[in-house]
Order: sequence, then C-alpha cells, then structure tokens
Amino acid sequence: MNPRLTRNQLVRRGAAGLTVLSLPGLLAACGGGDDGGGGDSSGEVAKVLNFANWPLYIDVDDQTKRRPTLDAFTAKTDIKVNYFEEINDNAEYFAKVQGPLSQGQGIDRDIFVFTDNSRFPGLLVDQGWVQKLDKELIPNISNLIDAQASPPFDPNREYSLPWQSGMTGIAWNEDVTGPVESIEQLLEDPKLKGKVTMLMELADSVGLTILANGDDPATVDDDVFNRAADRIQAAVGSGQIRRFTGNDYAQALTGGDLAASVAWSGDVIQLLLDNPNLKWAVPKDGGMIWTDNMFIPTGGSVPTASTYMNYVYEPAVAAKLAAAINYVTPVKGAREELAKSDAKTANNTLIFPDDELLTQLHQYDSAALNNQEHITRWQQVLGQ
Amino acid sequence: MRVKHHLLTTYAMLVIGYLMLPIAVVILFSFNEPEGRFNYVWQGFTFDNWANWDAPIGLRESMITSLEIGVLSTVVATILGTMIALAIVRHHFRGRASSNVLVFLPMSTPEIVLGASLLALFIQQTGIFVIGFWTIFIAHVMFIVSYIVVTVKARLIGFDRHLEEAAADLGADELTTFRKVTFPLIAPAMLAASLLGFALSIDDFVITYFVAGGEQTFPVYVWGIARVATPPQVNVVASAIFLVAIAVALGNVLWQYRSSRRQRGAA
Amino acid sequence: MGSFFHRRKGLVPYLLLSPGLAWLAIFFIVPLAYLGYQSLKSGIFPTYEFTWEFSNYTEAVSDYHPQLVRSFVYAGIATVACLVLAYPLVYWIAFRAGRWRNLFLLAIVAPFFVTYLIRTLAWLNILADEGPVVGLLQWTHVLGEDERLLATTFAVIAGITYNFLPFMALPIYVSLEQIEPRLLEAAKDLYASPVQAFLRVTLPLSAPGIVAGTLLTFIPAAGDFINAELLGTPKQQMIGNVIQAKFLESLDYPTAASLSFILMAAILVAVLAYARVVGSEKLTG
Repeated sequence: MNPRLTRNQLVRRGAAGLTVLSLPGLLAACGGGDDGGGGDSSGEVAKVLNFANWPLYIDVDDQTKRRPTLDAFTAKTDIKVNYFEEINDNAEYFAKVQGPLSQGQGIDRDIFVFTDNSRFPGLLVDQGWVQKLDKELIPNISNLIDAQASPPFDPNREYSLPWQSGMTGIAWNEDVTGPVESIEQLLEDPKLKGKVTMLMELADSVGLTILANGDDPATVDDDVFNRAADRIQAAVGSGQIRRFTGNDYAQALTGGDLAASVAWSGDVIQLLLDNPNLKWAVPKDGGMIWTDNMFIPTGGSVPTASTYMNYVYEPAVAAKLAAAINYVTPVKGAREELAKSDAKTANNTLIFPDDELLTQLHQYDSAALNNQEHITRWQQVLGQ
Repeated sequence: MRVKHHLLTTYAMLVIGYLMLPIAVVILFSFNEPEGRFNYVWQGFTFDNWANWDAPIGLRESMITSLEIGVLSTVVATILGTMIALAIVRHHFRGRASSNVLVFLPMSTPEIVLGASLLALFIQQTGIFVIGFWTIFIAHVMFIVSYIVVTVKARLIGFDRHLEEAAADLGADELTTFRKVTFPLIAPAMLAASLLGFALSIDDFVITYFVAGGEQTFPVYVWGIARVATPPQVNVVASAIFLVAIAVALGNVLWQYRSSRRQRGAA
Repeated sequence: MGSFFHRRKGLVPYLLLSPGLAWLAIFFIVPLAYLGYQSLKSGIFPTYEFTWEFSNYTEAVSDYHPQLVRSFVYAGIATVACLVLAYPLVYWIAFRAGRWRNLFLLAIVAPFFVTYLIRTLAWLNILADEGPVVGLLQWTHVLGEDERLLATTFAVIAGITYNFLPFMALPIYVSLEQIEPRLLEAAKDLYASPVQAFLRVTLPLSAPGIVAGTLLTFIPAAGDFINAELLGTPKQQMIGNVIQAKFLESLDYPTAASLSFILMAAILVAVLAYARVVGSEKLTG
C-alpha cells in the first residue's frame, strides 16, 4: 500500500475501478503512482495540501530543485504540499475541472488559481463551485493591499485571495529589432512582419489594442471591442502576427524567431537571465494589469487551504516569493522585508510598481469578460 | 539501367535521412547544456541531463502514470481484442459483419472526435466517472482494442484449423484444445499486438489530453511544459523510450532472422 | 464447463465477443451519442439546454468552412506527399534491400517510437528562423532574406507528412512484399521496358496497399491539430484546432460537438468518393 495514497483517493479510485473492472481497479489503486489526496471539506486541517498553480510561479532552489517556501511551510505546520504546475491557460484548466465541479464533486485540489482578467473567477463564485475562506485562520489578511480588497467578482474577498499580480506590455529582442513601444508599431510596422506574437488571453491582447485605439478598457461595449478585434484581425490577415501564444512566446523570443511579443512582466524579468538583450515596456498608450487569485474549489479542505494562505500573507514569505518569481506581490510590508536583504529587487518597479507606473496600467471591464459574442469573435481572430 | 538503380537507392536513402533527422535532433538535444531555460539552441555537450533525468518536477510522475496506463490498458485490451478476434475468425454467427464494422469504426474516426466524445460522456456522467487516471485507462482500452483485433485476426486467418480439429478428434474439449493448441499458436500474435497496443498507449496525446483532467501522462506533461520551456530531460526520456523500443524491435528482427535461417537449415 | 460449451456451441462466439464489444459500445458508441446530444443543445456556458438546435450545424459550416476545406486540402497534399516519398522507398526495400529489409523497415517505423509531440517539437528546432536549414536555403537563394519556413503552410503540411508517412509506407510494403518474384520475371520477359513491367504488373498489384495507406494517412491527417498548432500561424488553423479550442478554450460544447460530426461526415464522404474513383478505375483498367 502506497503511504502517499490517502483513504479518500483509495475510495475514489476503488469506486471508479469498480465501475469498470473491480479487481484491477483496486490493485492499481493500491499500487497507484500519482500524487493526489486531499479533498476533505471537514473542519480539520489535513495532512496534505494539494495546490494547483501556473508553471514558474513559485520559488525553486536551483541546486536542490526543492521549493524553499513550501518546505518551510511543511516544517512549520506539518502539512505536506503537493504542488501541481498544471495550469497553462485559464480556459483550458477551467474546462478540465468544470465537469466534476458542476456535479458538486471535488477535484483533489485544495487551492487553484485563476486570473481576474478572465471570466472564470466570476463563474466560479456565481456557480458556487468554490468555498468560503476561513478568515479566522487568516489573520494576515490584514496585509492585503487596499487596491486588491474589493474585486468585482468577490467584493468582500470571501472566496479568494490574490496570489500575484502582473502587467501586460510588450517585450522585444534587441538582437532583432529596435525598441517596440507601441501596439501600433507591433501590429502595423512592416519591418516586424511575421515576427510578432500576441497573447491568446483575450483581455491581454484586446485590452492593449483598446488602449491603442484611444478607447477605455474599463468600459468595453461592442463597438470598442470590435474596433480592437478588427485591428488585430487585420494584422493577422496581413501576416504581421505570427502566432497567438501562452507562455510559449518566451522561447521563440529569446531564440530570435520573434522580434516582439505581447508579454507578461514577470516572465521577462526571468528571461533576462537567459538573454540580456530582452526588453519589456508598458506600451505608450498604456498597459494592462491583472491578478491571479487563489480559490478553494468544492471538496478542498478549507482549513488547510486557509492555513496556507495565511502563511503566504506573511510579509517575509511574500518577499521571498516576489524575489523569486518577479511578479507584483499583493502583500503589504513585503517590499520593506525584501529591502533588508535585496535592495535591488526591492527597487525594481516591475516588481514593486511606483505610482507613476500604476497610472499607466488599466484593468479590463469585468462585465465584458463573459460576453459570449466577444468570446466567439475572439476565437475567430485566433484561428482564421 | 545502372544509373536508375543508383537514383532509386539515393532517393530511398534521402527519405530515410528525412525520417531520421528529427530523431537525431531529439537525441542530440538530450545532451545539450542550455545556458538558460530553453533547450532550443545548441550550447555544449553534457551527460548531466541523463544523470539527472528526473530533475524537472513532475516528469517522473508523468512517466510512471504513462507506464501504468500503458501496461493496464494493454493487458485488458489484449484479452478483449483476442476474444473478439477468435469469435470473428473461428465462428459463424449472426451479427458477425456488424461486429467487424464496430471494431473498425474507432480506427477510422479522427482521434479528436474520439477524445471529444468521451469527454462529452464523462462530463455528463461525473457521478460514475471521475475524470483522471481511470478515464484515461478506459479511453486507451477503447482505441487499442481495434488494433489488437486486427493484428491477432491476421495471424488466426493464417493458421491451420486442422490442428484444432485433430485435438478435438483426440477427445480434447474446447478449453483443453484452446490451452494446448490454439493459445500457443496465437501467443506470438498476442505479444506483437500487445507491443503495438503499448506503443500506441504510451504515445497517445490527443485522446488523453481530452480525458485526463488533472492527471498527467508523459505526452500531456510535454504539452504543458512545452508552453513554458522544455527541459533537456524531456529529450532524455523521449530518447530512452526510443532506444528501448528500437532494442526490442531489433531483437525481434534478429530473432526472426535467426529462426528463419534455422528453418532453412532444417529444410 | 467443457460439456457446457459443447451443448451450447452457438453461444461461444457471443461469450467471446460480448466483453470487448460491450466496451466499444459503451465507450465509443455511447460517447458519440452524447456528442450528438451535445451538438443539438443551445444556450451559453454553463447552462446548455437540449433544444434540437439543428442550426448549430448550419452555423458551424458557415462559420468554419474555411478551416474545414483547409483541413482536407492539407490532408490531401500531405497524403500525396507521403505516397511520393514512401512508394520508392518501400519499393527499394522490398526489391533491393536484400537481407537488410527488416532493418530498413524498422527505420520507417522508428519515428513512431519518439513521442508524437516531441518529434513535432524537433521540427521547431530544425526549421527555426535562425537555424541551419533556413540559413542554407537563404544562402542558396531558395528562400529570400526575409522568408522563413516555420509558421508557414509549408511547415504545417511538412509536419503532417512526416508524422503520418509510416502509415502510408507499411501497407504498401506489405502489398509489394507479397508479389511473387516469378511474376516479375515473367513480366520482364513479356514487356520490353522495365517501366512497362512496373506499370502493368507491380503497380496494380500494390494498389491495395496504396488504397489502405491513403486512407490510413488521410483520415488522421484531416483531424490533426498538433502540427497546425505548433508549426503554423492563425492562418493555417485546421478544423481540429477549432474543435479543440471550442471544447477546451471557449467551452462552446454545442458548436464543438457539431463540428466533430461534420468532420466525421466529411471524411466519410471523402472516403466514399475515393472508393468510387478507385473502384471505377479498376473497372476501366
């Protein structure tokens, strides 16, 4: 019997096995090789926390390949963390988990992460597929920065807490091109033809283009949306845009196949280690800002997840995460904490944006995110 | 005439080269020592990736899942498929033609439709199916079975029924005949079929991707990691799978070669 | 137990069949039925309702016929390319490779042993803008200074061709291998030129292999989305990409399901049309 296998998982596998083939089902369940477990909604803190997150989104020790903040959490609380880097794309991940969630079943995860510039945080809360946090266990919630206290999908932060925020702008490779600092240049400069990518995420690409059109991404009606979609579609038609990507623009950009990409801020800071000729800027017409939020899905253990959330809202822990992953931390006091050990990172405005930068950043209209016509139109732009 | 001969040989060698090129690249880049995160440009030679093949988090687990599903689904599919093949070849019965059609249909359906339709079932019936390991298993058995049937059938059609009739004449009942005569005769075909099934299972991405949920097989892991930065260890695992498969196949080729020589020698 | 089988001999085939066919019925036929059910729903995620919405099909065709047509064009070109590449190769293996036959046969299957995704990703390396192949082609002026291979129609079709070539090669090899050598000698005696001997004897005898290979290549190629996704641009998206995106990105299950059936139906029509052409040629030939 595999010690990593929890009773819950055994029962599940056994049950699933019985429906298809009883004996091998149980045998394999006993010899099971994958991680899993968790998924107990009862009031007690569990032994294991299953945490689904995006890749390259937590600190990793290059030597030991361990994750120091998770190890420290286990040492402190005796809760082992199974960390799954299984989210590559909000929609794709949502598509995978929505089946069981819609039937009121758990998904063997205690925390998962969705971005507020997608329609999914709103859907999760409205459909009741996520559970309320146990704020008694999260005294550190007082460290949440004011700007994040009341998002439209969860005005009182009953269901969610930010993991990190990030900015969407333009990255370019100086080996291939001069500065690319506007969406106009990205979409219409013939010198960049076939050498640029945009992000698949609607709010990132359309948002930046809305700004470039002189419209406001905070109020996206059909006209505003279609103006931006038309402009992007024209750039696809002319062969200007090579692809729409997730994180995968990074390899092509550092390798020189691409001149410029719509890109996320933290990625580029990490990429600079590989290629110092990469540059990133907020486009001159403005950039987008977004926040990834932790949720507790149905079936997840609320006390266990809440205990972990409290832990990452300690300024010292938040400082370590911010220094490692280079995105914008939502935790007050993290910068001061980091300044003690790493003044350079603490003064990096891409990680701790100053007021001047913040005025250039915009959020996408949350009401427009679930507009089915916009979603369908965007799919058509993505594949013509 | 001679020139034409060489022309054909050259052409054949070029096509072989085309087939081998990506494989060579995969193996070559398993020895790359990338400076940064990306294993995209050749930087330098190292054995480190092979020594630390499971350094990327999740790679080992995905490989284990792939192997578990490969073995389980192949065993089940081989049993089910061999039974179907026996029934279709050895018996005449009502519904034989439509059974044949049912076996062939999955093979002539695009993988994306197979994956999508299974997902449609699984998300409707989440009370029965927990999307993950077992749904992958179910899907793999489903698409492998047809290939097993075809492979075993080909062998069954080829062999002499008189052996079985002789056994029956000697008083053996059906089960004994099966155990002593039929099974030893079809065992090599079952082995070949299960190797094919295992290879199909290990390699499958499209169907698995639809029905995997949070579970990761090796191809699903590669799909995810390729969006970020494919570590050279992925090439290591791919090269290792390739080398093992080639070794098994080469062994088979040599074995056939030797046994055919022995047969010729005996004759 | 033995006597039971003897008395109920008629039951044996059904006992042998039932577990496997039940599996196929439950996990192939039933899912297709569910897909059909999904395809007739209407509404927006997450509340789709079954309303016999046949307009999903007409809308899917009118919205996505470019991708559908493109899939069949790409799959068709790739199938022809596979035939052109594979036929001479397996001909050479069958008639010229001698005792190394099995070894070369192994070389044809070898790509199968490298995970599908990884061998496609390897083409990303090979065809990269800054890579040696593009450099060589630019140096020899086959490609212009600004031209590229990656993210083009060529790359997508080349990727499909590469990935499905073994499906074409193996059946042709099997049919060539079954040709009696004495038949070929007789043909050489009868016809003056080897070309005529090839056209009159070898080619017709390998026709079943070509037909099987064509189907085995074309069907998966038409439904593929990996090559267009990794090696193409938005302008090369195939119907598989649309189905995948509709299912897993925009969660538009009714459209995804109707597109799946449209793809299946279109493949069926193409296969039947092909069968007619092949059949009629045989009749006239």
